[in-house]
Amino acid sequence: MSAEATARPHTTPWRRLAADRIARWVVSAGGLAIIVSILGILVFILVEVAPLLTAARVTVDRKIPLAGAAPGALLSDEHRTHVAALGAEGRVRVIRLSDGQTVATRDLLAEPAELVDLQVPPESSALAASTRDGRVVIAPVTFQITFDAQNRVVSPEISEPVVLEVDPLGRPLQSFAAQIDEEGSATTAAALADGTITVVRRSVTHNEMTGETGEETVRTSAPVSYRVTHLALDADQKNLYGGTAGGEILWWHLEEGQIGPVQAASAGTAPITALALLIGGRSLVVGQGNGTLSVWMPVSKAEDADAASGDERLTRIRDFPPQSGAIRLISPSPRRKGFLALSDRELGLYHSTSHRTLWTGPSPLPGARALGTSPKDDGAFLAGHGTLASLALRNPHPETTWRTLFGKVWYEGYDHADHVWQSTGGSDDFEPKLSLTPLLFGTLKGTLYSLILAIPLGVFGAMYVSQFMHPGYKRYVKPLVEIMASLPSVVLGFLAGLWLAPRIEHAVPSLLLALFVLPVLVLLTGAAWNRLPRTFRGRFPAGTEAFLFVVVLALGIWLCFSLRQPFEHLAFAGDFRSWLLHAVGLSYDQRNALVVGLAMGFAVIPIIFAIAEDAFTNVPQNLVAGSLALGADRWQTVTRVVLPTASPGIFSAVMVGFGRAVGETMIVLMATGNTPIMDWNPFNGFRTLSANIAVEIPEAPHGDTLYRTLFLAALLLFVLTFLVNTVAELVRQRLRERYSQL
Amino acid sequence: MQNDEKTSHASLYGGDRGWSERFGHAFTWLCGGALALNVLLVLGILSLLAWKGFGYFWQEDLVEFTLKDGSKVLGEVWEEEIVAATPEHPAVDRLRLKIGNRDVNGLDFVWIDRADVVSRREPKDVVLLERLEWGNFHGYLREIRRGDQVLAQGSEAVWQQLGPLLATKEAEREEIHALEKGAIGAINYEIEKLRLAARRLEISGLPAAERERRQAEIDKTLQEREAEFQQLADRLFQMREALTAETLVAATASGETKEIPVGGIVSAIRPDDLGVLGKLALQGKRIRQFVVDDPRESNTEGGIFPAIFGTVMMVFLMAFAVAPLGVVAAVYLREYAKQGLLVRLVRIAVNNLAGVPSIVFGVFGLGFFVYLIGGSLDKLLYPEALPTPTFGTGGILWAALTLALLTVPVVIVATEEGLAAVPRIVREGSLALGATKFETIRKVVLPAAAPGILTGMILAMARAAGEVAPLMIVGMVKLAPTLPLDGRPPFLHLERKFMHLGFHIFDVGFQSPNIEATTPLVFATALLLITVVTLMNLLAIGLRNHLRRKYAGSAV
Repeated sequence: MSAEATARPHTTPWRRLAADRIARWVVSAGGLAIIVSILGILVFILVEVAPLLTAARVTVDRKIPLAGAAPGALLSDEHRTHVAALGAEGRVRVIRLSDGQTVATRDLLAEPAELVDLQVPPESSALAASTRDGRVVIAPVTFQITFDAQNRVVSPEISEPVVLEVDPLGRPLQSFAAQIDEEGSATTAAALADGTITVVRRSVTHNEMTGETGEETVRTSAPVSYRVTHLALDADQKNLYGGTAGGEILWWHLEEGQIGPVQAASAGTAPITALALLIGGRSLVVGQGNGTLSVWMPVSKAEDADAASGDERLTRIRDFPPQSGAIRLISPSPRRKGFLALSDRELGLYHSTSHRTLWTGPSPLPGARALGTSPKDDGAFLAGHGTLASLALRNPHPETTWRTLFGKVWYEGYDHADHVWQSTGGSDDFEPKLSLTPLLFGTLKGTLYSLILAIPLGVFGAMYVSQFMHPGYKRYVKPLVEIMASLPSVVLGFLAGLWLAPRIEHAVPSLLLALFVLPVLVLLTGAAWNRLPRTFRGRFPAGTEAFLFVVVLALGIWLCFSLRQPFEHLAFAGDFRSWLLHAVGLSYDQRNALVVGLAMGFAVIPIIFAIAEDAFTNVPQNLVAGSLALGADRWQTVTRVVLPTASPGIFSAVMVGFGRAVGETMIVLMATGNTPIMDWNPFNGFRTLSANIAVEIPEAPHGDTLYRTLFLAALLLFVLTFLVNTVAELVRQRLRERYSQL
Repeated sequence: MQNDEKTSHASLYGGDRGWSERFGHAFTWLCGGALALNVLLVLGILSLLAWKGFGYFWQEDLVEFTLKDGSKVLGEVWEEEIVAATPEHPAVDRLRLKIGNRDVNGLDFVWIDRADVVSRREPKDVVLLERLEWGNFHGYLREIRRGDQVLAQGSEAVWQQLGPLLATKEAEREEIHALEKGAIGAINYEIEKLRLAARRLEISGLPAAERERRQAEIDKTLQEREAEFQQLADRLFQMREALTAETLVAATASGETKEIPVGGIVSAIRPDDLGVLGKLALQGKRIRQFVVDDPRESNTEGGIFPAIFGTVMMVFLMAFAVAPLGVVAAVYLREYAKQGLLVRLVRIAVNNLAGVPSIVFGVFGLGFFVYLIGGSLDKLLYPEALPTPTFGTGGILWAALTLALLTVPVVIVATEEGLAAVPRIVREGSLALGATKFETIRKVVLPAAAPGILTGMILAMARAAGEVAPLMIVGMVKLAPTLPLDGRPPFLHLERKFMHLGFHIFDVGFQSPNIEATTPLVFATALLLITVVTLMNLLAIGLRNHLRRKYAGSAV
C-alpha cells in the first residue's frame, strides 16, 4: 500500500496520511504490548516462584562493645531492638541495639555468685544458668510492646528468678538443662559430680477458687554410667536428652519428675560438644568435637513385631556437612525447624527438614561464647570478647528444596521418608509438608481415568461421523458436540459429585456389566440391521443405524441397571463393596477416580472429537477415492489409508484432551474427596494440582512459602499444558502442510 | 464422499463375506456405538438437568399417610425405593417423603416403609406455607389471632382471610425492606464514610489546630447522622412489631399446633386443591420469583437474583475489557505485523494460551491484580481504610480482568479468522480508490469481519459465564450484602465482591449444612446456567456458520 501512497501523494491529504501513520503506530504498539503482557503471565508467575529457592543471606548489622563479664546467653525481642544478655557475674543487662545503651539490669542472685554454664532453654523466653555452688537459676524475660501515637515502645521486664538447689553438697554441676512454663513450673536436670542425673521439679499450683498459690518441689536422682557433658530438656519437661564425652546420645523420659530408663545411641567417638532441640521438641541437633552436625529423632519401630506400639528409638536421620572445628553452640530457630551452629571460626545456618545448608561463612566474632536467634528468625546475636554482634538473616523459605517439593522427606513423627502434602495442622509448631508429588500423581491419575473413557469415545465417534455417516447428519451431530464442550465444568462437577457419585456407589457392578453388554448389543443390532432387506435399508442415508444404536444403548443401560442385583449375586457374592475389600483388598470412597473419570471424560470427549473429526475429514479425497477405486472396501480404506494419514491429528487430539484434563479444576474439586494420597485404586479419591490450588490459596498468606509453592503448582500446570498444546499444534500444522501437498 | 456412497454401500453390505469384511462391519458398528453413546450422554445430561431443574418448581400433592402405629405423616412423595431381599434382610419397599416443618421435625426427609402404611389420602384443605424461616410448613389451618383477639377460626374461614392478609403483609415487608436498603442503608454508608474521613484526617499531616477543627465538624455530622439513624431504627422496630402482630395457628398432621407469625409467611397454597393448570401457574410464578428474588436462609431458599446480576455484570465488564484487547491484538497480528516465523510463533502461543488451565489465570490474577495492583492502589488512594483492603482483595473488577485475560485468546483467534475471511479483492478495491490502509481497515475490513469478532465475543462471554475456578480466588463470595451497582455514588463499585451462578452451584451444593434439601435448588441454578451458556454458544455457532457460508460464496 505504500506503493499507492507514493504513486499519488498529492491526492491524499497529509491529514489522512498522518492518521494512517499514527494508527499504524498505535495498533502495532498496542498489539505488541497486549501480546507481550499476555505472555508476561508466565514471567510474573516465575517471579513469584523464584524466591522459594534463593539462598539465604547473613549480614552483620552492627557490633556493640559490651561492659561486664562476657555474656553466655542472649535473648531478643520480636523486632530486634533490644537484647537481654546474661553474664557470668549473674547480672542480666538489657541493651538497646540502636545506641548500645544498657536500659535495664538485674542481678539474678542476691549474693555475688559465679555462674558456670549459661543457656536459653528451648522454646522459652528465659535465661538459665548453673552456679558454682550447685544451684540452677532461671529468669523469664519478657519484652512488652506498646504503641504511643506513632512509635513502638519496647519495655523489657526481667521476672523474679526461680532458684533451684540441685546439688545439696554445693558442688558445681557437670552439665544442666532447665525449662520453665508460663505458670512458673520449672524443671531442671543436671549431671552431678557423684555420677547421677538429678531432676528437680518445682510445680506451681494455682487454686482458682481461693486464689492461693501452692508450691511443691520434687527431686529425683538416677545413677548414670556415662560422663554427661551436655543436657537438653524439651518444652513439655517430659524428655531429657544428654550427650557424653564418648559420643553417646542419651534419652530419658521424665514422668511426674521420675526418671525413666535411659536409652543410648552412639554418634561416633567424637565427644558431643553441643546439643539443641528444634522447635516442637522432636528433633535433636547434635554437634561434635570433630565438627560433625547431625539430626536425631525418636522413630517408632512399629514394624518390629516384638516391640510394643509407641516404642520409639532415637535414630540418626540426617547429617550436615561438618564444620572445620568443634561445634560450640547451636541455636534453634523459634519459628522453624532450622538452626544456627557455631564453631570457633565458622558459623552456619541450616534447615533440618529440607536438609539445606542455607549459609556458611567465617564467624563474625571468632571465639564467641553466646549465640541467640531472634523470635522472628530474622536475626541472630553473637557475644564474646566484650562485643555483641547483631546479624540479619534473610532467609524467607528455608524449608523448600527440589527434594522437599518432589522427593521423599523424613518428617518428624513419621517412621520413614515419604511424599506428603499437608499444609496446615492443629498446633502452632506444626510443620507444613509441601510435596507436590502426590498432587502430580493425582493429576495424572484423574487424567488417565478420564482419557480411558474419552479417547475411544471421542476418536471412534469422530471416525464414524467423518467416514461412515452421511454428511447431512453432521449438521445435527456437530452442534451437539459443541454444546457438550460448552457445558460449564461446575455443572458437570455438581452432577458428578451429588448425583452420580451416590448412584455409582451402588451401581459399579452395572457399569462393569455395561462394559460387556453395550458392545454386544450394538453388534447384535448392527447385524440385525444388515439382515433387513436392502430395499428398506437403501431408503436411509449411511449412518442411520447410529440413531438406532442410541435407542438400543439407552435400553441396554436400563437393562444393566435392572440386572444389577442378580449380577452382583452371581459375580460378587451379593455385595460388590465387601467383595472389593476382601477379595481384592481395595477400599471404596464415594467420590472416587471412577466418578471423576466419567465426568471429566465427558468434558474431554468433545475436544478430542472435534480435533479428530477435523483430521479425518481433511484427509485428501483423492487418497480415499484411489483406495476405493483399487477395490478396497470402505473399512479397508479407513484402516489402511485414512487412519494412518490422519494419525498425527489423532495424536494432537489426544494431547489437547490431555491438556484439558490436567488443568480441569471444578470437576475434580467437586467429585473427589481431595485426599492427597498416592494410590492407583480407581475407587479412591485423589487431589490434583489444580484442585489443590483452589482449596489452599484462599488461606495462604501473601508471600508465604505455601503461597509460593501454590504458584509453583500453577507454573507446573502452565508449562505442562503449554508444552502439550504446542506439540499438538505443531503436529497439526505439519499435518495440514502434508495434506496440502498430497 | 457422496459420490463414493454407492460403491461403499456395495462393498460394505454386499459382496463376498470375508472375515476381514465381517470384522470391518463389527468395528464400524462399534464406532457407531461410540458416537451413539456420546449423543446419549449429552441428551441424558441435558434432560436430567431439565427434568430436575424444572422439577424444583413443580408442586407435588401433599399426601397424608396413616401408619400402623397410628401416627400420621404429611409430605410430598419424593422417591420410591425397592431394596431387594438379601440373606440378612428381607426386601423393603419404602417411600421417601419431604415432610417440611423443620422446626417441628428437625429434618426435611423421612423414609416410611410401605408395609407400615394403613391408609393414604390427599386432603383438599391441607396447606403448604412457604416461610421466611424454617422452610415450608405442611399442615392444617386453625385460626388467626392478633394478640388475644381471634380474627378467624376454622380451616375455611382462615383460608379466606389469609389471602388478603398475606397481601398486606407482603406490602409491609416490602416497606421494611425499602427502609432498610434505602434510608437506613444510606445513613450507614454515610457514617462509614465519616469514619473513614476521620481516619484520613488522623493520618494526614495537617497542623493540630486545623485537624481538631475538622474533626469537630466530622463529629458533629456524625452525631446528627447517628440521631437520624436512631429515629429510623425506632421506626423500623415499630414496623417490625406491626408485621408480626398477627399469628397463624396451624396444626401438623400429628395434631401438634404451631403458632406462626403471619408476617413470616411468603405464600400459602393448598396443593391438593390445585388442578394441573393451577400447578402450572404456580410453577411459572415460582420460576419468576427464583429469578427476581433475593436468597434466604443462607442461599438455600428464595431466589438467586444477586447471583444472576453478579454473573451478568461481571461478564459485561469482562467484555468491555476483552473487546479492545482482542481486536487490537488481532488487527496487529493479521494486518500490520510482518508475517514471518515470529508472528507464527506468537500465534501458536496465543492459541495455546486458550488451553492453559483457568486456575492458573486465577493464581495470576490473585498475585498480580489483587496483591500487586490492588495493594498498591490501597496504599495510594485508600490509606484510611487500611488494614481493611479496598482493592487489595478479590472484587468484581479483578474477576472481570482475570477472565478477560483468560478469554482474550478466543477473541484474538476468532477476530483473526474473521479478518482472514475478508476477501483480498475487497481490500484492494478500497485501496485502489485511494483510501489509506487504516481507512480500509476501519471502514471496510472491520465491518466485514464484524460477525467473526462478534462470534469470538459471544464465545468468550459464554466461557466467562461458566468459569468458576479462577473466580473462587479473585472475588466471589457466598453471599454479597450489596450489589456492585447501586444508587449511591460512584454507582459502580468495582471493588465489591459479588455472587456468581457457578460459584452458587459449588457453594450451595457442597458447603451447605443440609445438602439433601438444597440439591433441588442447585439443579434449578444449574439449569439456568447451562441454558444461558448453551444459548450463547448456539448463537455464536449460528453466526459463525452464517459467516462461513457468506464468504464461502464470495471468496476466490
